[in-house]
Amino acid sequence: MNLKTKYSEQELVALLQQQSEPAFNYLYDNYSGALYGIIHQMIMDSETANDVLQEVFINIWRKISLYDAAKGRLYTWMLNIARNAAIDKLRSRGFQESRKNQAMPENVDTISASVGPKIDDVGLKKVLVQLKDEHRTLVDLSYFQGFTHEEIAKMMDIPLGTVKTRIRSALTQLRTLLK
Amino acid sequence: MNIQEYISSGIIESYVLGLASAEEKNEFEQFCRQYPEIREAREAFELLLEKQAMEQAVPPPPDLKQKIWGQINFNAPVGQTAPIGEIPQSPVARMGWLRYAVAACLVLLAGSLYWNLSLQKQNTAIRESLSSVQNDLDAAKNTIAGLEADAKVIQGNNIKMAALKGMPESPQSFATVYWDTTSKDVYLMVNNLPKPASNQQYQLWALLDGQPIDMGLLTITEKPLQLYKMKNARAAQAFAITLEKKGGNPTPEGKMYVMGNL
Repeated sequence: MNLKTKYSEQELVALLQQQSEPAFNYLYDNYSGALYGIIHQMIMDSETANDVLQEVFINIWRKISLYDAAKGRLYTWMLNIARNAAIDKLRSRGFQESRKNQAMPENVDTISASVGPKIDDVGLKKVLVQLKDEHRTLVDLSYFQGFTHEEIAKMMDIPLGTVKTRIRSALTQLRTLLK
Repeated sequence: MNIQEYISSGIIESYVLGLASAEEKNEFEQFCRQYPEIREAREAFELLLEKQAMEQAVPPPPDLKQKIWGQINFNAPVGQTAPIGEIPQSPVARMGWLRYAVAACLVLLAGSLYWNLSLQKQNTAIRESLSSVQNDLDAAKNTIAGLEADAKVIQGNNIKMAALKGMPESPQSFATVYWDTTSKDVYLMVNNLPKPASNQQYQLWALLDGQPIDMGLLTITEKPLQLYKMKNARAAQAFAITLEKKGGNPTPEGKMYVMGNL
């Protein structure tokens, strides 16, 4: 395994698309931690998070030919694969059943509770807690739990337009908070 | 378009974080090609996100890498990554199998549909013929009940009968009157009478001391050999049928077709 080789993003993508194992090795060593962090923010259970990370890297390998640099950075692409995989897992039947005892977002109270600061001291969620309640809840539901705007509007009983505006406004704040 | 406004609308974050709708995505990608500022703003946010994620990285358990490597075939030729977690099998062979399975399913489906349809047709036909048989049976039952009722009338103890024979006008004509001497009921059986014109109607008369008494009109839609109840006659020596205008007459004006004594 050739460690410590430094690739530019362009080189890395080109090699990955040629299915180079050293390039994939490099990708894993450099990005697995970041992606694992994101997955862990969404799925508390370590075993499940491990499964998801496995799935994510296998998917990256399989789908690398679909990556289009014009649409965004490699990390962004991988982040979306990770997020979708985590959401799929969160929504899968087996997972839902395994955490039956935990509060599912069926009303606003439990939603607010689920984004309380206690478990959210890492990553994006750390930033999230700095948002106003109404914004935080919406970002949590849409980004970390993968609900559509329509689902959120229904769940929280607020107009769809309001959901969209609030999420947009929350996201612009996110950018400032990340800096 | 105000580019700065668009950039700060939250669309960049929505897009990068995967929260934009398909429509927003398409629009955004087009703007990125069109306006370098938008593309730069997107990249800046992506870098910010990436940097932050790197800082917050959580190293996965060390054995995970091996597990992943165990599931990837790095030696597959370029562009032919074998689907992971599936039994490796040539795509052609799998397709062939699938094709036959689909074809078989389609044949089965078509067969089952055809069978279903023909069964349904058969079912409808049987139901129709059953209902027609039922109707025939009902009609027959009615006829028998009518005949039985008639037979009872004729076999009564106090029944007197008059055979009305054809007059010169219509020698083939023949009818029978049954008169219940107790109840004074009069029943008529038309054995044979020519069909009247549409503006004419047969009328039954009782004759008492040479005087005709109206016994009612005949409606000859009636089947032959069936008893029809006419008006009551308190007394009569003979009965006769004449052909009158439609609706009848108070006294007979038309030709007499049949007549007979009690």
